[in-house]
Amino acid sequence: MARRRDGVRLLTSLALAIGVLSWANPAARAEETLNICHGGHPIMVASQKILDKWAKKEGVKLATTLIAYDVYVPKVTQMLTTGSAQCDIIWHNDDWGQLWQQYVVTTDDVAGIDNVAKQPLDAFWNDQHKLTVVPMAHTIGTFFYRKDLISDAEVPKTFADMVKIGQKLQKEGKVKWGYVGAMSFNNTWFSLWWTMWNNGCDIFKPIYERDNKVLAANDWTSIVDQPCHQQIVEFWWDALHKDKIAPEANTTYGRNEANAIFMAGDAAITVADSTFWGDYNDKNKSRVAGNIGMAPYPVGPGRSKPITWVDIWGWAIPKSVPPAHQALAKKLLGEMLTDEDGQVQMWNETGGPPPNVKVWDRLAASDPVFRKLKEVDFDQDHVHSAYYFANWPKVHKAYSDVAIKALTGKREDIPAVLKEGAKSVHDAAVAQ
Amino acid sequence: MVKAHPAVSGGLAPSAAPGHTNAEPWLGEKERFMFLLIAPAGIVLVLFQIVPIIFGANASFRDWQLFDPVRTWVGLKHYIYILNDPTFLTVVLPNTFLLMFLSVTLSLVGGLALAHYLHRNLAGQWLMQTIILLPQMIAPVIAAMMMRWVFNDQFGVVAAFLDWIGFGPIAWLAQRWPSFFIVVFTDVWIWTPWFALILLAGLRSLPREPFEAAQIDAAGPWRTFTHLTLPMLRSVIAVCVLIRSIDAFRSFDVIWILTGGGPARSTEVFSIYTYIETFVNLDFGRGSAAAMIGALIILVVAGVMYKAAGRVMDVSR
Repeated sequence: MARRRDGVRLLTSLALAIGVLSWANPAARAEETLNICHGGHPIMVASQKILDKWAKKEGVKLATTLIAYDVYVPKVTQMLTTGSAQCDIIWHNDDWGQLWQQYVVTTDDVAGIDNVAKQPLDAFWNDQHKLTVVPMAHTIGTFFYRKDLISDAEVPKTFADMVKIGQKLQKEGKVKWGYVGAMSFNNTWFSLWWTMWNNGCDIFKPIYERDNKVLAANDWTSIVDQPCHQQIVEFWWDALHKDKIAPEANTTYGRNEANAIFMAGDAAITVADSTFWGDYNDKNKSRVAGNIGMAPYPVGPGRSKPITWVDIWGWAIPKSVPPAHQALAKKLLGEMLTDEDGQVQMWNETGGPPPNVKVWDRLAASDPVFRKLKEVDFDQDHVHSAYYFANWPKVHKAYSDVAIKALTGKREDIPAVLKEGAKSVHDAAVAQ
Repeated sequence: MVKAHPAVSGGLAPSAAPGHTNAEPWLGEKERFMFLLIAPAGIVLVLFQIVPIIFGANASFRDWQLFDPVRTWVGLKHYIYILNDPTFLTVVLPNTFLLMFLSVTLSLVGGLALAHYLHRNLAGQWLMQTIILLPQMIAPVIAAMMMRWVFNDQFGVVAAFLDWIGFGPIAWLAQRWPSFFIVVFTDVWIWTPWFALILLAGLRSLPREPFEAAQIDAAGPWRTFTHLTLPMLRSVIAVCVLIRSIDAFRSFDVIWILTGGGPARSTEVFSIYTYIETFVNLDFGRGSAAAMIGALIILVVAGVMYKAAGRVMDVSR
């Protein structure tokens, strides 16, 4: 009996010793696996590449679960609300920053977080005013034009200029369309919204306000029926049906269709995320490669200075993940955020502007494309590209339906459609 | 030698051992075997059909936002909202039934024509049969994406053809009825081969004698078709229409890819309405209520159609 007990003691001690030694020596430690869930966009892949580099050094294996964009929010939301630990790191976005604030860990303590731009973080504060995201890249709506067709002096400064140059190029047979930009739900930014903000307008009053308390104090009153908004809907109606600088089917285009037309050389101007710079200049994909220019947005009669949005895509860590994985994920994200060379490489490969603002200066000094992007986007006035409250998806859908209805109907019906629309947008905002 | 069961043979049962009853088991050996055979299917049905329906029904009476599932009991609130929603009543339901009617009718007519063509035993028939069946072999999502590009006003083959004959590009998906036409066209394109295949099997199983008699009586092809083929195929047609109608009611993928329910919700059908409430607005409660309402509607419609199909089959016998 005594010999048996001694044997058990010996085995236990041996197991403990091996355990301690393995923990002390990362090489001998069993490889941990962190699962990253995202939508497979090249920027996410490039950011994961940086994480992977550091993961290898830490003896961590990164696994990837790709989730289609169309089902990403419902799928991950369901995962978060049911406490699943399926994903250790998830793609996060300002559009749903507030939806997940109670389900993801705080990130104020991640290394390098002090070096990111502050305004794009507005969507990601939780109720205790703690940050819940680690930025991976900036997403910036950018005004692209064909610099082989439009000289510096001709770059449009106003909506009217855009119509004029578009019609001129169409008349000369140089392009089929002056402008093309995605407009169908949920691509509203690339046509209706950039003109809305650049005409001194917005969806709710007061304009450009994103503080939910202020918006609630104004009873989430929608201003889509106000003159500033009617002007931009009429501008687009004319662009589609009267001036014909954009195809009538533009109301149905997503990014793929709009990009296909621009990259085929059939349109002179488009608005898209800056991250498409790489695709537009890829000779294997684009007939207009090498001829792309960037400029600040033209403005409407309601505004004198361009305004744009600079938001972020980021990573988040679910609370349901075991604490050891949370710590490991934070460590890797910190290493990604402080890896300046990795971020430069991401910019070079994808056109994704780095999350670390220190890298901006370095790039601005060495890279003319980044310098231009900084000039036309980062250095302009900014508005947030979404509202940060739970009913935002409903509001976006309601808005899109109203705008498309107005644009596909008769011009004289626009005021009535927008009046009715202001109510449905308000109702979507306050729906319980 | 086979020993007869006492209950079957009518012989005397041996005296029961102490503590055991003499009562017959609740289920006989045959019934138990039957239940065993259907058990796997039954378990799958319960787990993947009945349980989700119960969960869905439960959610439809609760305040169940996907991002904040408080699950407070709200009674019929969601049902009342949907049944008073003008979009649901004046756009979604009419679109759903119109799509169901047009898709089933046109697919049936097309399928019947194709089945007749394939029934002729022409040279190279196997090749034609394979080609005709191709749309059925393509996933509806891919077929819909393909159609979206086919009808694209800038690059689509339809646009190129219209351009060639002197018409400008048509913004098919920018208006309600052209969009709806493309949805119906795509659905018919996908489902006509299915009708053709089943009706061809039906045609091949018909007895030859009535057709020979009609030939002797000098009946023309149209008269033979309307007075012999159609009545004799009635039961097959009834079953096809019943199955396909139920399927058409819940069509989702083709419409979502082609129009997303737009422009401005004008091509929304029941399944898109439910999807938007659930996965765009992230409102599981209201989405579940919409699904339950749809289930009740299709239950009634299917019941009526099932009865009608039964009558048709009785007449056919």
